[in-house]
Amino acid sequence: MKKTIITFLLSAGLLVSCTDLEVTPASFVTEDNYFITQDDAVASVTAVYASLSLDPGEQSLFGRNLYFLTDMGSDYAAAGVSATNPQVRALSSLTHDATSDRVQVAWRQIYAGINRANVAIDNIPKVSGSEAIKTRLINEAKFIRGLLYFQAVRLWGGVPIVLHEATSINLGNLKTNRATVDEVYAQIIKDLTDAEALPKTYTTADAGRATSGAAKAILAKVYLTRKDWPNAIAKSREVIDGGFGYALFEDFQDIFTKTKKNGKEHIFSVQFEPNQAGNGSSGSTFQATSFTGFTATEPADIISDVALFYDIYATGDKRRDVSYAKQLLNPTTGTLYTFPKPIFKKYLDLTNLATPANVAINFPVIRYADILLSLAEAINEQGGPTPEAYELINQVRRRAFGKPITTPDPTVDLVALDQTSFRNAIQEERKKEFVQEGQRWFDLVRWGTLVTEVKKVTAKNSVSERNNLYPIPQSERNINPDGLPQNPGY
Amino acid sequence: MKNISNIYILLFLLLLTAGIQAQNTAPLIQSKLDGTVVDAITNQPIIGASVNIKGTTHGVVTDAEGKFYFQTGQKFPYTLIVSYIGYKKAEVIVEKNPVIISLKEERQELDELVVVGYGTQKRKDITGSVASVPKANLSQVTSSADNLLRGAVSGVVVTQSSGRPGASSSVRIRGGNSITAGNEPLYVVDGILIYNDNANSSAGVTYAGASVNVLSTINPADIESIEVLKDASATAIYGSRGANGVVIITTKKGTKGQDNISYQGYFGFQNISKKLRLMNASEWASLRNDVQASIGQAPSFTAEQIEAFKTSGNYDWQSAAFRTAAPVQSHNLSFSGGDERSRYSISAGYFDQEGIVLGSDFKRVSLRANYERNYSQNFKFGVNANYTYSLANGVGTAGSGRTPNPIVAAVLTAPVVPIKNADGSYNVTNNPYATSVNGYVPNPINDLENTINETNLNRILTSLFGEYKLTKKLTAKVAVSGDVLNTKQNYYAPANTTTGAGTKGLASVGDRLVGSVLNENTLNYNTNFGENHKFSALGGYTLQYTKGEVVNAGANTFVNDANTYNALQDGVAVKPYSEAYESVLKSWLARVNYSYKGKYNFTLSGRADGSSRFGAESLWGYFPSAGFSWNITDEEFANNIKGITEAKLRITAGTTGNQEIGNYLSLASMGSVNYSFGGTLYTGIAPTRLANPDLKWEKTTQYNVGLDLSLLDRKINFVFDVYYKKTNDLLISVPVPLSSGYATVLQNIGGVENKGVEIGLTTENVKTENFAWNSNIVFSANRNKVTEIGNGVNEFFPVVPNGSLLQQQPVIVKVGLPLGTFWGYRTNGIFQTQEEVNTQPKINSLANTKVGDRRYVDTNGDGVITALDKGNLGTSQPKFVGSFSNTISHNDFDLNFSFQGSYGAKIFNALNQQLEISTLGTNAASTLNDRWTPTNPSNEIPRATSSPLGIVSERYVEDASFLRLKLITLGYTLPKSVSKKLGAKSLKVYVSAENLITWTKYTGYDPEVSSYEQNNLYPGIDFGSYPNSKTFISGLNVTF
Repeated sequence: MKKTIITFLLSAGLLVSCTDLEVTPASFVTEDNYFITQDDAVASVTAVYASLSLDPGEQSLFGRNLYFLTDMGSDYAAAGVSATNPQVRALSSLTHDATSDRVQVAWRQIYAGINRANVAIDNIPKVSGSEAIKTRLINEAKFIRGLLYFQAVRLWGGVPIVLHEATSINLGNLKTNRATVDEVYAQIIKDLTDAEALPKTYTTADAGRATSGAAKAILAKVYLTRKDWPNAIAKSREVIDGGFGYALFEDFQDIFTKTKKNGKEHIFSVQFEPNQAGNGSSGSTFQATSFTGFTATEPADIISDVALFYDIYATGDKRRDVSYAKQLLNPTTGTLYTFPKPIFKKYLDLTNLATPANVAINFPVIRYADILLSLAEAINEQGGPTPEAYELINQVRRRAFGKPITTPDPTVDLVALDQTSFRNAIQEERKKEFVQEGQRWFDLVRWGTLVTEVKKVTAKNSVSERNNLYPIPQSERNINPDGLPQNPGY
Repeated sequence: MKNISNIYILLFLLLLTAGIQAQNTAPLIQSKLDGTVVDAITNQPIIGASVNIKGTTHGVVTDAEGKFYFQTGQKFPYTLIVSYIGYKKAEVIVEKNPVIISLKEERQELDELVVVGYGTQKRKDITGSVASVPKANLSQVTSSADNLLRGAVSGVVVTQSSGRPGASSSVRIRGGNSITAGNEPLYVVDGILIYNDNANSSAGVTYAGASVNVLSTINPADIESIEVLKDASATAIYGSRGANGVVIITTKKGTKGQDNISYQGYFGFQNISKKLRLMNASEWASLRNDVQASIGQAPSFTAEQIEAFKTSGNYDWQSAAFRTAAPVQSHNLSFSGGDERSRYSISAGYFDQEGIVLGSDFKRVSLRANYERNYSQNFKFGVNANYTYSLANGVGTAGSGRTPNPIVAAVLTAPVVPIKNADGSYNVTNNPYATSVNGYVPNPINDLENTINETNLNRILTSLFGEYKLTKKLTAKVAVSGDVLNTKQNYYAPANTTTGAGTKGLASVGDRLVGSVLNENTLNYNTNFGENHKFSALGGYTLQYTKGEVVNAGANTFVNDANTYNALQDGVAVKPYSEAYESVLKSWLARVNYSYKGKYNFTLSGRADGSSRFGAESLWGYFPSAGFSWNITDEEFANNIKGITEAKLRITAGTTGNQEIGNYLSLASMGSVNYSFGGTLYTGIAPTRLANPDLKWEKTTQYNVGLDLSLLDRKINFVFDVYYKKTNDLLISVPVPLSSGYATVLQNIGGVENKGVEIGLTTENVKTENFAWNSNIVFSANRNKVTEIGNGVNEFFPVVPNGSLLQQQPVIVKVGLPLGTFWGYRTNGIFQTQEEVNTQPKINSLANTKVGDRRYVDTNGDGVITALDKGNLGTSQPKFVGSFSNTISHNDFDLNFSFQGSYGAKIFNALNQQLEISTLGTNAASTLNDRWTPTNPSNEIPRATSSPLGIVSERYVEDASFLRLKLITLGYTLPKSVSKKLGAKSLKVYVSAENLITWTKYTGYDPEVSSYEQNNLYPGIDFGSYPNSKTFISGLNVTF
């Protein structure tokens, strides 16, 4: 008996000791089983794109979060009564400080995307598969990285440049100091120039990927922002004349119509599809925050001043009723509902008012009209308006009024302006054209008119020169106070 | 792993069949003895007392009349040893037949045996802080065992996440040690180690709401005793799972010598203990007019309409959400007994409770069999087997940040909206104040009644053990146990409910299977060196393997609601989910006790744990402890101090750990994300976490000094403990530069400190022949403080998972302050004039401040109210908690009543905050009737506006101090003569009331709540927690 017991105890001890303490996760991918095949490379770049449209638990970068900085922080957009986040209201009244959660989230989302691009760029070379595809994928990642740094450098100035994936949790390894604005732009131009090697077009199945034209278009905007007029003009012309097939939609509404996604005017759009951000969510929250149902409750995103931004559209300018809705047909009652204030309409899917989180209208990062106006602006800034410049702005105007785009039309065409009034005309045009398209704040800062323009809105009269940049998030400076000096005024 | 457990079972069975037959010898009849054993004071017979003849193995047990009978080879006079639980062992010299032996009740507390980790110890020899839950507490009406700890033992705070039947609760022993890891104690149920992770009862079904308490799978009626191990000397033997304290639950076993059949049952009903004061239709209509006016709109109601609402058209949505007299019943039948060699206890239980909120209930069927056999003199084996099935139907979550669940939604529904249509159906179409989705408006009462939200739990908890005496001094024990928990959740929201409307029906099913196998092998050595030196040692090796699998699937867009969740294929599928995980924990454990003359006791114990959860660089952790106790009254100088019967000083120190951090967190991980090209979704793989090969357990070092004092012949027993706990290497998601692409990395970097005092006082106030009054007072105070967060960060705001609360950031974790500290503004009246608006500090983010808006204190004096003006508004941790329990018996009647109280804790009343926000569509608290208007210049309640911000201020961080008459029970035990006629050994009837009276300033439903269950970071937030109930029951206990 005693022997049996001892044998038993011993065997129990032996048996258990062979169970290993190292367990292998079954439900997620680890470093060890990734970046082996070309499919891994494709998936890593898909994740780079997804950084634009998906951030679980947060509003995605282009799904609304960037909007707080680029639109609500400008003049025409404000936080409505349904905006319950005090930080959003602070941005709207330009009283935010370095602790602003929206600023911090935008910073985080941008760098998360940059990190994904870095991971892809660092690791794709080692996978098996076609070199051509691998090069294309790396260039796609570089396009997104360039685009994100372009957002960052305009929002914060010289930001940390991180070009490789983090490999250890050591804080020294994770800290990066601010670079200069010039250094950041040099990196942007490098990435986007590499991305110019991307294909001109893709198959329908791959529609939405970054193209050579998209890289040139963003480059054009980079040069425009840098006031490098010759290069801005050259890159814009490459986009227009490069055989990409870009053109304006005849109908302004088509830019925001689901069925016209990735059409001839769209140079690069952030893609939103139903359930893209999980069950019942596309990743874009614009509809939910622009439309609160057929009630008088003011939505979270609302026009700041009806007289300054809604009443300015000339009669017949179709952009007003695509950008805003004063009235909307209530499909349940069959009657027109009139809102106390016009609501934003570009991202409303009127066929799907029931599940606003799952509305899938793409966000146009850059579209052909922007290139036309950018080229016109660069030409004018270089030496005053030329016939080419008039034709560019007038094409945009003709389309706005539903006229044939390439046929001169004296009822809408601009003529006989000097450099200043042409500049003003472009600025007016861009204000009407790009409502809710993440352009307004960048435009005002580029023109140096942020303070004067924003001051016109009573609720935003706290604006000052500091608002030409956003603060470096305080949480970031807590960890690296010396390497991240704060922007002036914060 | 599966193979290993199979081999165990096989070996175990082999072992069981390999014993040696015991030898029986027939006694030589030389004398007969008839005897009776009675209680020395009451003279009532004692049933089941064991009577042994000293120096022989011959023993008998008294029968139902306290009688015993011997035929023995011994001659008179000989000595009998008579013992019975709760009585002093007596040695009686018998000279002739018959004999009456009276036993005195055991009051020498220090001699009782106490269950400790991997064994038992005499209380007198214990060095650590171990408290037993009083028997009276074990008979409460509750669905779950952890609730029995409420107010029972000093140093233990139990918070229910909701009053929902079967809902989870959080238990903190001596405060929370951890910031991100688990803070729940380790439960040891009949030797099976269980961490009460309520995530195990969730299969990830969306909208399922509060999780079901995993401990509800143990039938409280089966519990014989509960011990709470508090200090390091007691818990270090549990190593990396001991830091949060250990609760040892022992289920009922059979006793030698008698077979009992007993039934315990009760019926009762419950009512809501309190309702919130809301606006009626007339008041609300007038409020809406004011809100309309604030945004420049015409009034919605005329004065006549407002007047008319006083008599008709008022709908009480709050009351409609609650049941009155919701029934509860419990039935337990058990068979127990034993003979010389076997003990058994078999029981079956049924528990059925309807919740006080519509649509909620909890049912449980539990079966248990405990069996133990002395196979031979040296070999003993046994089994403890438990199977439970429970079904919880509950209130799910729904909706937005303002309405986290249907209870809140009901409270917030405008009182002018009819609940039902004229035909008796629910009104789901006519509410002009809510957004209609696919033609349906939210009707929370319909949601409560018609949403299916089931959690089915099946649990098998079984252990087998064999114990073999290798020598007189050395015993080996092998135990193998299995714990299988299967959770199946079913959810269906019909197309006319709030969650179902958007998608035309919403179905979701989920399944989680968690299995754990535990093998424990221990050797126990006991010896004495001479008279004065007592020595014992325990050593062992254990292994626990856990595997979990989760799967869930869902669909929406159904043609109709007929098949609910049972035909997902008829709808449009949503993305399914599955997950699997496993973990391994290997341990070596040891304890050495040494006692010199019973005066000086030393304990050294420790455990080495290897856990798969930790990084490759730190797989093993070592947790030692040391304890010393001194029985002062055994010293000669202390012998004759008047009044002091016994005094004992305890000093302990040690280190324990916490490994409840989740699996795989030391590894780098990639997660899947989606993006679409050409209108088709593609899966991308993105890095989500950096590897931390140094990740390890959290380490708590605890020091404890205790004093046990018995006075006046043990009429007064006093236990006093003071402790200091310092937790280091806390796992914290440390912020790293976001420019790295990561927000945080999990590192062992933080620190938390707890210190406190605990007092337990039991007194015998009156004791006469037919009247007795005993009291038990429990008091504890704990102070908790965060000492380090890491990377130079001094504070952070935990993310509260609710839209509107997330943005308000009501809770801060800050170095120097306790966990669960509320952070916000202080109010400063109301702006009364435009002059004040122009000159006084306003919230910077709120444009257009007007007269009638609330003012806040500009604490830093910079002229504007910003986040910098926020400050400490108190903590959800009480300054002290206590309870006062009494047992009074008079003849056959007994009366138990206990008060529980808590002082100094705060609750963030998020529901009241929402109710004081005026909107165009939702009902409001009746306090808004006193809102600021030009004619009513209130300095407390601001003007009506449309959806103003929720702002955390001291107005909504309320004092949650309370005193509660927790339990009062009156019982009547039938006299033996009567019960005997009924064929019963004993029969008791009782009536009982729970939560009868609560004294509190708290304005919400109940001050003992936490909406976010076991969370450490944001406890004490009340956002529509399921309210507590008053319960009245009548019950019957009978033993045959």
